[in-house]
Amino acid sequence: MSLFFQSLVLGVLLGGLYALLAAGLTLYFGVMRVVMIAHSAFLILAAYLAWFFTSETGLDPLLSLVVTVPLFFVTGVAMQRLLISRLRPATLTMMSVLLTFSVALVIEGMLGFVFSGTQRRIRLPYSGDSIELFGANIAVVKLIAFGLAAVSLGALFLILKKTQFGQALRATIQHPDAARLVGINTDRIAGYGFGLGLATAAIGGTALALDSTIYPSLHWHWIGPLMAIIVVGGLGSIPGAAIAAMLLGLGQSLLQIPLGTTWAQTIFYVALFATLMVRPQGFFGGRLAQRF
Amino acid sequence: MTETATGTTTATRIGLATEGLTKSFGGVRAVDGASVQFHHGKVNALIGPNGSGKTTFFNCVTGMIKPDSGTATYLGQDITGKASHRIARAGIGRSFQLCRVFPRMTVMENMLVAVRSASLRHLVAPARSSAEVERARELLTRVGIDHLENSEARDISYGQQKLLELAGVLMADPETIMLDEPAGGVNPALIDRIASLVRDLNAEGKTFIVVEHNMDLVMSLSDHVVVFDRGRQICEGPPSVVQNDPRVLEAYLGI
Amino acid sequence: MRSASDTTTATSTGRGGMLLKGAGLLVLAALVLAFPAMAPDPFILSVGVVIMSYAVLATSWNFVGGFTGYISLGHASYSGLGAYATALLVIHTGINPWVAMLLGGLVVAALAVPIGIASLRVRGASFVIVSIAMVLILLLVFQSWGEVTGGSNGLRVPRPFGPDVLRPEQHERFFYLHAALLAVALLAWWAIDRSRFGTGLKAIREDEDKAQSLGVPTFSYKLTAFVVSAFFTALGGGLYALWFGFLDPIFQFSILVGSYMVLMSLLGGIRSLFGPFLGAVIVGYAVEFFKNQYGDTQFHLVAMGLLLGIVVLFMPDGIIPAVSSLLRRFRPEAASIREVSQADLAEQRRRTSSPSTSGTARVASPADGESTGDADDGSPDRLSEGVQR
Repeated sequence: MSLFFQSLVLGVLLGGLYALLAAGLTLYFGVMRVVMIAHSAFLILAAYLAWFFTSETGLDPLLSLVVTVPLFFVTGVAMQRLLISRLRPATLTMMSVLLTFSVALVIEGMLGFVFSGTQRRIRLPYSGDSIELFGANIAVVKLIAFGLAAVSLGALFLILKKTQFGQALRATIQHPDAARLVGINTDRIAGYGFGLGLATAAIGGTALALDSTIYPSLHWHWIGPLMAIIVVGGLGSIPGAAIAAMLLGLGQSLLQIPLGTTWAQTIFYVALFATLMVRPQGFFGGRLAQRF
Repeated sequence: MTETATGTTTATRIGLATEGLTKSFGGVRAVDGASVQFHHGKVNALIGPNGSGKTTFFNCVTGMIKPDSGTATYLGQDITGKASHRIARAGIGRSFQLCRVFPRMTVMENMLVAVRSASLRHLVAPARSSAEVERARELLTRVGIDHLENSEARDISYGQQKLLELAGVLMADPETIMLDEPAGGVNPALIDRIASLVRDLNAEGKTFIVVEHNMDLVMSLSDHVVVFDRGRQICEGPPSVVQNDPRVLEAYLGI
Repeated sequence: MRSASDTTTATSTGRGGMLLKGAGLLVLAALVLAFPAMAPDPFILSVGVVIMSYAVLATSWNFVGGFTGYISLGHASYSGLGAYATALLVIHTGINPWVAMLLGGLVVAALAVPIGIASLRVRGASFVIVSIAMVLILLLVFQSWGEVTGGSNGLRVPRPFGPDVLRPEQHERFFYLHAALLAVALLAWWAIDRSRFGTGLKAIREDEDKAQSLGVPTFSYKLTAFVVSAFFTALGGGLYALWFGFLDPIFQFSILVGSYMVLMSLLGGIRSLFGPFLGAVIVGYAVEFFKNQYGDTQFHLVAMGLLLGIVVLFMPDGIIPAVSSLLRRFRPEAASIREVSQADLAEQRRRTSSPSTSGTARVASPADGESTGDADDGSPDRLSEGVQR
């Protein structure tokens, strides 16, 4: 029973991180119809930066966010303006996949080149600490990571719902032509949307670095589940992505008990295929998927 | 020849018809319970102010998008929500607003896309079977762009692309041809050419359903006019009647 | 970026063009056939086999990528499955390895049907997502399912030729076998290219909605192309397995292998018959060179990523169309054989048009008296077309 409860809690914690990262992927797809393969590569890059920051300065990896979040935001805007926007609209979806894929390869290659392929892990004074919660033993770092994800997701939600920028962003996602008609500069909004998406990778990466061993090719283990999540949630729907992330994160965690870690991962792909067969537009909203 | 058709009192045969067709996007009902009947063998016009749902109606009827509710029939046969290639095979061809051709295929290749039969032999047959090419040349000659046969579609002018699109639709030999703004963005000389093509083809038995904003063209070309406003039909009849209907004036002028 | 066109201008001037193409094809075939004899040592010969294998895979990829424009990043799934299917059939049933290879291809083609149905029903994005997901799943499954696949320890594949056939001899035989498979794949691609089916597929690539409105059953066309592509890719994988003799999931189900196929095809030109082949020669050679030169470091990933990025941004049409349009612009009317590159010949071959005499590609438009003949703004932005409105 306590094992089940432990897995449940771990599933929620994992789902939170998935939700944040999937929200980022959804943003790119929403504003630009771009499937951003490099998202998880940036995630790992941020994790490496956090590790590097801590091993050089000895400070807490969370402090690296002060640098990485703005850096990633600017990188995202630049990437959209300088690379993605150069592609022809007619072939944008396909070509942007290749372009972001090539970015992912360059990041992975550079990480291997600069930091070598050795596995890295941050050592923190509180790394081994855990607290007991209704009989479940939860590592403190996991809680911190979840807190970080939850706070960021909340902030993202507030930005989208409450600010003028958020409204423009949502308008751009829902109907770019109409948004342009009412005077929204959709190009600029798309750039900021991209920046925001990449900022989630910065936060997610730092959270990941807290309790995971990282290595350059790790991003492939993330991109599959994340893409499955955004399809299940309905391409373009942020709430859909969050719900799907939570459910699948929980599912993965619970399936680890009977199946083991490797086979538990297949839940994402099973869900992906089931979704495409039964309801290709995704289970939670996602009008966009029909056309793309 | 069009005037005589409206004058006769022979029973009109209904070709394409819809009943309560509805399609909304988000909160907006682009097509709102449209019940329309088009006359078979005639030139029908579908007019209405901008945003009155004409193109969405076209897209619903030709299977590009699925209507939320309502039915569409063609010569009594149900075509509601069918995939667009099935509707094409049922005998309805269409052109697109802003003209769509296959940019990186030659004019001739553009002509050979249309599929008229689903047989396997047809599939593996060389695209350039002489009979098909012959037919394509005839149609290209008819619309007047046969000299461009080997050019890529993206290299010819917009007006020529419009003619190519029409010729491509004709390749499938549809009974009914739906044109979305055939006169949009082209010069007066070409409008005349398109109008006379429509008249000639109609005389040969083709039915037309034309969305158009050019009122002179609509009034001179069509036998039957359907007026749309806010996603449904508000009035129908011969051009002379529709022209003076107060509801039409209201819809256009917003009084 | 519209300079690199694959215009079917009437450059192939009747019989002269045919002759030129025939000669080019003969030279190409002779070069391929003579390679094993010219290779200075077995290592170079083995590189040749690897490149031919890539050529088979890239050409097979191009059945779906080139015709329909659907980019699959996960074709390693099908080469890997083909390899394992062949190996497992040979090991467990002991049937003739070549029959096993063919059966493997058929099994994979059958598997491709449901995968294709799931990923092609909606447009674009989900196809790519599924293609990547497939590789990741298969890697997971083949690594974990040790008792059948050998897991991470790998799987040894029995050699089809006895132990009396020495290494260099093995390489030579497999070089020719790969060349033969490549020839079959090219022939199939060529046949589809000139069929009505091929015209429909190309129309899907250009404008899927429009093609469907003209009566093209787009879904079944895409699915067919996809299954054919998976079949040839699996054969390529199976042949490789028989040559290499050892399978490790991490190399068989690698995103990298799938992206090589994309890069090769794109670099050579996905709309050209010989584009993927040319790309395979260039990229295959470069990959082997990098591995030799830089070995352990991850530098080849960076190089590969940069090259892919450059191709996507600046040369999405590939080398063959770019070169041939360049040649068309600069060469005088009648080109001598020496001035025509292999690639150009290949290109011309594909672009066979009926021997027309009206050789004017870009005429100003006397037909409609309209002067928007400048084609740069000729194609309307079809994203703004009112499907939504």
